[in-house]
Amino acid sequence: MATLALPGTETTAVRTVDKPERRGGKGARAGKAGPVTYTLLTLTALVSIFPLYWTVVAGSHTNAEIAATPPPFLPNASLFDNFKAALDQAPIGKAILNSVLVSSSITIGTVLFCTLAGFAFAKLQFRGKGLLLALVIGTMMVPTQLSVIPLFMMIADLQWVNQLQAVVLPTLVSAFGVFFMRQFLISALPNELLEAGRVDGASTFRIFWSIVVPVARPAMAVLAMLTFLTAWNEFFWPLIALTNANPTVQVALAGLGSGYVPQRSVIMAGTLLGTLPVLIVFTILGKQIVGGIMQGAVKG
Amino acid sequence: MATVTFDQATRIYPKAEKPAVDALDLEIADGEFLVLVGPSGCGKSTSLRMLAGLEEVDAGSVLIGDRDVTDRPPKDRDIAMVFQNYALYPHMTVGENMGFALKLAGVDKAERARRVAEAAKILDLSEYLDRRPKALSGGQRQRVAMGRAIVRSPQVFLMDEPLSNLDAKLRVQTRTQIAALVKRLGTTTVYVTHDQVEAMTMGDRVAVLKDGVLQQCDTPGALYDRPANVFVAGFIGSPAMNLVTGPAVEGGVRVGGAVLPVPREQLARAAAGNGQVTVGFRPEAMHLVGPGEGVQVLVNVVEQLGSDAFLYTKLAGEDTDDVLHPSDVVIRTEPRSAPAMGEKLWLGVREGALHVFDAATQQRVE
Repeated sequence: MATLALPGTETTAVRTVDKPERRGGKGARAGKAGPVTYTLLTLTALVSIFPLYWTVVAGSHTNAEIAATPPPFLPNASLFDNFKAALDQAPIGKAILNSVLVSSSITIGTVLFCTLAGFAFAKLQFRGKGLLLALVIGTMMVPTQLSVIPLFMMIADLQWVNQLQAVVLPTLVSAFGVFFMRQFLISALPNELLEAGRVDGASTFRIFWSIVVPVARPAMAVLAMLTFLTAWNEFFWPLIALTNANPTVQVALAGLGSGYVPQRSVIMAGTLLGTLPVLIVFTILGKQIVGGIMQGAVKG
Repeated sequence: MATVTFDQATRIYPKAEKPAVDALDLEIADGEFLVLVGPSGCGKSTSLRMLAGLEEVDAGSVLIGDRDVTDRPPKDRDIAMVFQNYALYPHMTVGENMGFALKLAGVDKAERARRVAEAAKILDLSEYLDRRPKALSGGQRQRVAMGRAIVRSPQVFLMDEPLSNLDAKLRVQTRTQIAALVKRLGTTTVYVTHDQVEAMTMGDRVAVLKDGVLQQCDTPGALYDRPANVFVAGFIGSPAMNLVTGPAVEGGVRVGGAVLPVPREQLARAAAGNGQVTVGFRPEAMHLVGPGEGVQVLVNVVEQLGSDAFLYTKLAGEDTDDVLHPSDVVIRTEPRSAPAMGEKLWLGVREGALHVFDAATQQRVE
């Protein structure tokens, strides 16, 4: 199969990427990438992965070694010592378990409620629909900081301080999620499908469950991924609502290496411990999630 | 199976000035195949959706059998609907699509499988039961949509332009299949189409709508032979009926320099409005006459169809260079002996084939 990817100027190579190969049966697929493309992509990948790599390197040296010039570039054997130090200094094991619980609950809640609300806003007719949607979207413009004090007072009244529900409940629905699901369902779910369901004898909830959810699945997967990551990385509110006795990962990390001289190597080792579960989950689920996104794109 | 009755049924869309369906009165007999036909926006689909319960009824009522279903949700109406784009559930297999309504109705699994298999056999879908809709051709999807309807054995079938997404050849083929299937099942059917050929070939009766108002509901033959007004006359039949308006004169109506004879009494009633009379004659109702005996026309275009030839002619004395309106009168003739372009002919209308309408009210005058 002839290729247009000749070594040469950058323009040649870029054009190669954009223009699908048309000659021959197999050539109908997208064209081959040229060396410049590979170089650019490799650079991008390296830049993206560097922070993680640096976490591993810094987490496997002592504080003094990291501060040296030039800094070390290869991991060292002290990684496990630093892990041990981090686990001794903060309840990271408990924090990971808490974060898994909190992030999963928030993800399940957000995906379920946002899909329900998105479906209602996209396809159901009810009075005050426009106003309600404007209200929901309007909440996106209210800064989190503004609601922290009243929220904390409510949590305190409920005696939920330092309990996980204090972190889970306020974020069970997100305005962005509602808007995201609404936009997806407006275009992806034909009205006739809902009408067919009604004629077939389905209740609104049954239509939601048997017809809307399967159609919405790609968007739900994307929303789940975004929500899980946001919840896992959330620091501000959990730091206020929880203490180091019952922390999430980010709260626990904040308490690490916080002596007179910050122990960067221990902080990095702790950070690595806190990031690993998410990395593992997304390495395993990555294909399904990307598959979901692609499926949505093809179905339109 | 049941009768269907529209009793002054009206639908006004929010913020619309005119009703989409205006006081529709229609009685459909048990087991009858009724076609609702009309141009875009005439309210035919809205009427069907009112019967389905997918559209509110603002005034009047809709009955299935003796039951007033005006305010009942679709699931309580015992109807099945075939949608224009089929609306098959994309994540379900053909079998699941067909069995979904039965599943919701609580029919047990074995019975469900039996009925789905039976319907699939009738529709020649047995080998596709495990496929998803996206793996089927347009014609097969259409059959699945039909299958989903018949598997329920409902009281009424509702079909909303179910053939309009098929190519021309498949449409003709499927048209006859649906007609035969519905006859065999004997289920009352309301079928919406904008294609008057479909309407004429499939329906026991055809209801013609325009601007939300029922114009006429009758058998295809009666619609063709005795259209109730100028709209129905022009809508039913292909090519359309020739309609010419002229002043009433002694003995008939003046058309293009000649007078088409109309009985005195009929003429008087037709001209009662404004002295103008609209006359209509089908393309096949014309015959050649001697010079000076009928209307003189100039042949502008000749269309050869093999079985017929159509002459698109201009009345003599009219502007023959008007390319946008090259024809006043269309004539169906023998293809082998068709006159050539540019020929001038003298034509008369066969005895009894002239339709007379009051030009003011547009209504038929007998």
